[in-house]
This record gives sequence, C-alpha cells and structure tokens, in this order.
Amino acid sequence: MKLRENKNIFHVGFLGMALLVAFLLPLVVTSPTNLQIIILIYFYAYLTTSWNLVGGFAGVLPLGHSAFVGIGAYTSTMLYIHYGLSPWIGMFAGGIVAAVAGIIIGYPTLKMRGAYFALATIAFAEGLRVVVENINNIGPLVVNGPRGLLIPLLGNNFLHFQFLGKEPYYYIILIMLLIVLAITYAISRLRIGYYLAAGGEEPEAAQSLGVNVARYKLIATAMSAFLTALAGTFYAQFMLYFYPKGILGLDLSFEIAFIALIGGRGTIAGPVLGALVLRPINEFTRIYLSGTLPGLHLVIFGLVLILVMIYQPRGLQEPLSRLYRWLLLRLAGPSPKS
Amino acid sequence: MLLEIKHITKSFGGLKAVNGLDLSIDAGQILGLIGPNGAGKSTVFNCVTGVYPPTSGNILFKGEVITGTKPWNICRKKIARTFQLVKPFGMKTVLYNVMVGAFALSPSPRHARDRALQVLEMLHLDDRKDVLAKNLTIADRKRLELARALATKPELLLLDEVMAGLRPTEVEEMIGIIRRIRESGVTVFVIEHIIKAIMALSDRIVVINFGEKIAEGTPVEVSRDDKVIKAYLGSDYVAA
Repeated sequence: MKLRENKNIFHVGFLGMALLVAFLLPLVVTSPTNLQIIILIYFYAYLTTSWNLVGGFAGVLPLGHSAFVGIGAYTSTMLYIHYGLSPWIGMFAGGIVAAVAGIIIGYPTLKMRGAYFALATIAFAEGLRVVVENINNIGPLVVNGPRGLLIPLLGNNFLHFQFLGKEPYYYIILIMLLIVLAITYAISRLRIGYYLAAGGEEPEAAQSLGVNVARYKLIATAMSAFLTALAGTFYAQFMLYFYPKGILGLDLSFEIAFIALIGGRGTIAGPVLGALVLRPINEFTRIYLSGTLPGLHLVIFGLVLILVMIYQPRGLQEPLSRLYRWLLLRLAGPSPKS
Repeated sequence: MLLEIKHITKSFGGLKAVNGLDLSIDAGQILGLIGPNGAGKSTVFNCVTGVYPPTSGNILFKGEVITGTKPWNICRKKIARTFQLVKPFGMKTVLYNVMVGAFALSPSPRHARDRALQVLEMLHLDDRKDVLAKNLTIADRKRLELARALATKPELLLLDEVMAGLRPTEVEEMIGIIRRIRESGVTVFVIEHIIKAIMALSDRIVVINFGEKIAEGTPVEVSRDDKVIKAYLGSDYVAA
C-alpha cells in the first residue's frame, strides 16, 4: 500500500511538472517560428485525441476526419464574415454541424468492417472537398470555392478570437488539449469507454452482454466530430486563411491517423506522444529538405510508420509507459541493495 | 415455464438448420441440448439470443414473446450466453472483461467492479484478474466467458460447449461450477458434446438431428433411445 501511495505521489508530481513546463514554455521559447511549431504539435495532438474516441476506443479506422476540421473552420468563419458572430460562438455552431454530419455519415458506414469503413470515410471527406471547391456561395454566405476564405485582420481582439502575438494562441490550444485529454480520460473510465472498447474488439460478444454496439459507436463519432470541429475554428483564427485542399484534404486526415498509429491507438498518451514525435519530423524535413526533394517528408513519415508498426505495433506509448512505470517503481520503492 | 420455443424454423438459403423445433425449460432446470455436428444446436441458441430471428415460429420468455429481439435487449431481459468459439476482449484484463458484463446492472464503475470481483471469486478466477485475456489458457478462457455472462445476473444462461477442449479434471470442475450456478437460482440451457458431462448435469435432455427433435427425456431415457444411439451416441455407448 505504501508503495502504491508513493507511486501515485510521484505520478501526480510528474504530471504537475509537465503541466508547469507547458504553461511556462512561452517564457523560454520566444522565437515565433518555434512557438508556431509547438502550437501545431498541440493542435495535432488535440485533433488526434479527438480522432482517438472513434479510431482508438471504438476500434474502427476513420480516414476522413479533415471533413470535420473543415466543417468547423468554414462554419465559424462564414458566420463571422457575414454576420459578425464571434468565432467563440461560431466554434460551437461548427461543432454541432460536424456532429450532425458525423451521425449522418456514421449511421450507414459504422456497420462496415475494417477497410470498407476507412474507404467510405475517405470518400465522404474527398466528396465534401470537391463540393466546397465548386461552391461560390450558399445564399448570402460566401464560400469562395478553391480560393478559400480570408479572415480580415483586426488586431488584438479577444472577442473576435484574434491576436497579434502567438502566445495567446499557445495558451488557447494548450487548454483545449488539456480539456480533450480530460474528456478522454473520463470516458475511458466510464461505462461508455468499456462498451466502446468491447464493441471494437468483439462486437458479437459485446452485444450479448447488453451493448448496443452501433449506437455507442455513433455516440463516439458525434463526440469526436464535435471536438474535431472546434480545432477547425482554432486553425482558421490562428492562420486567418484557409482553403479546401489544406483543411479538407486527405493529407490532414492521413496525418491524424499516422500520429495515432505511431503514438498508440486507444490510449490517452498515444496521440500526444505521436504528435511530439511526428510533427517535428514533418516540420524540419519540410524546412530543410523540401527545397531539394519535395514530398520527401512523406517518405520519411512512411518509413517511421513502417518501423514502428514492425517493432512496436501498439505504438510508442507501449515501451514508453513501461519505462515510466519502471521509473515510478524505482523512485517509490525501497532503494535497491547497495 | 421460463423459456418456450414454439415450432421454430431457421433457413439459410435452401438449408433448414432448425426445422419446426419445440422445446421448453422450467425455471431452475438444467436442460441439455445434444446432437451431431451441424444438427442446428448453435442455431437454436442464436435464435433465442437474437443474433438472428427464426424464419418462422415463436420464442417466449416468462410468457412474453421475445422472437427477433436484439441481442443487447435480450441481455436486459436477463438471458445471457457464452459462445462456442470464445470471444474474449483479448487486449483487456480479465477484470475488464467481466466488468463489461457487470455494467449491464448499473452504470457505476464501482458497482461494476464489485460485481465483477464477486463473480470472479465464485469461479476461482480472482487470482487471474489482472492478466490480459489473450494470455489465458483455454480452460480459463472458457471460464472467463462464463464469468462475463454471469456478471449480467441472468435468470437464464445458455452455455455453448463450455467444456470442449478441457482436460477431464477441468471438466469435473466445470460441472461443479455449473451446478453451483443452478443452485444460485439460474436456469441453465447447455449444449455439450462431452456425453458423460451432460448426462451427469442435465435434468432433461433434448436430442436434435438435422434440425429436428428426435428424442427428449431424462438422461437415462435418452441414452436408451434407439434413434439417439443410431444418430449420435453410437452402439459403443450402449455396451459401456
């Protein structure tokens, strides 16, 4: 018992320290370029954590989550540009639209298994992108087709979700990430988490134990879509410009899935670890190598994915959490014989 | 009568897996269902538990028609089952597996955990509670399958070959477990190929062949039935 208590104390201590470091980081990292990279790490960690509710816990492989990012970005931005609605409110409007879209796509597709589901989600996301690229406006709302949307710069203005420096964005996405991690943690501990995992692994057995597998998957999809769309609004306000190919494209969908697979699907730390590893690889290869060989970063991505899948098929979280547990045990236990 | 199966037929394409079967179980009974491979035993279970509806006929539980009820609602009506090919949630611990079943009683994780531990203790699996289900031996997997079903607190339990693949001592142990389950007030409907076990266990036995009932009665009656000996037991069994 004493050992367990000690371990918990160290565990909480480490988490607290990590949190403190995260909150104080902008004091040390002052270069806007580096801060931008870190913001995008959090952004992708957030997206992947949201994806993980379906792709990890519910055991299916959605490959079209950019659709929900795009729905979030477009909804809040169109409402902002035309009606002047604060993106803080538009964010949730986008979330609701995305959740509805998630239910509409999920209802027929979640019954499919494996690759068929993945392909159906790709088809949906790509379809949405092509539609958006061919629409100039929906009634009074400007969509602007393939040219995308530009958000007029107003300077520092909290109500309009606009800031000149990077620090406010840093704290917003950090807090969003912490919230979505807390939600994931809670879900994994509640009945819905058990039911999602059971339905993902052995649907027939889960059903015989009282789990309406299809309904739970649909609930997870709606939540995942909602949370993903919130990040879409964040991205729009952070970049102040976005276009269909970037925000609704397959590259984004695939990168989310890559991060999850490399970090560890269905775990809480996995998406964060995956983003911490993959995003810097992505950024630095793009910065240093894209001049000589465009697309090389994708090749490196593929290589990393292959290596991880061969040696750690359950993702990097597996060896790292084992190491972490060992460390806690060493710290908490009686000191080894000298 | 707890469960009544009234003249159900189940066809897959041109094949009649179950053909006009009538069957009933009284509360507190252990009913055995035997028959050669492909006789339609598991199909009967699948019809009762809502995996698919019968092509025709009706199934009544406590007098209420449950034909075509979905599996998750069947569970809520207090009917639980195990699968012939065990289906553990392999990447999860034994305790986790059983908690999934226990959540049928209450959404509270604490209650589910208590209930799961209680069932594990009853089945002598409590020392395995933190092991991943995929790392269990086949005997323990069968027992886990049983524990998960029991955690939902069923009134009727359908066991699909829980003893297949077990060593003789493990079979003895499983017979003891099933008897204890019945003593706790659960009605048991069991498919089994190990004749010695099912003879020892059942109050009544129904024998089916090609989807039709060919005999019904006490274990002794059934074992003396000519049709049963010819279709299933083989003449060696009579000599023994």
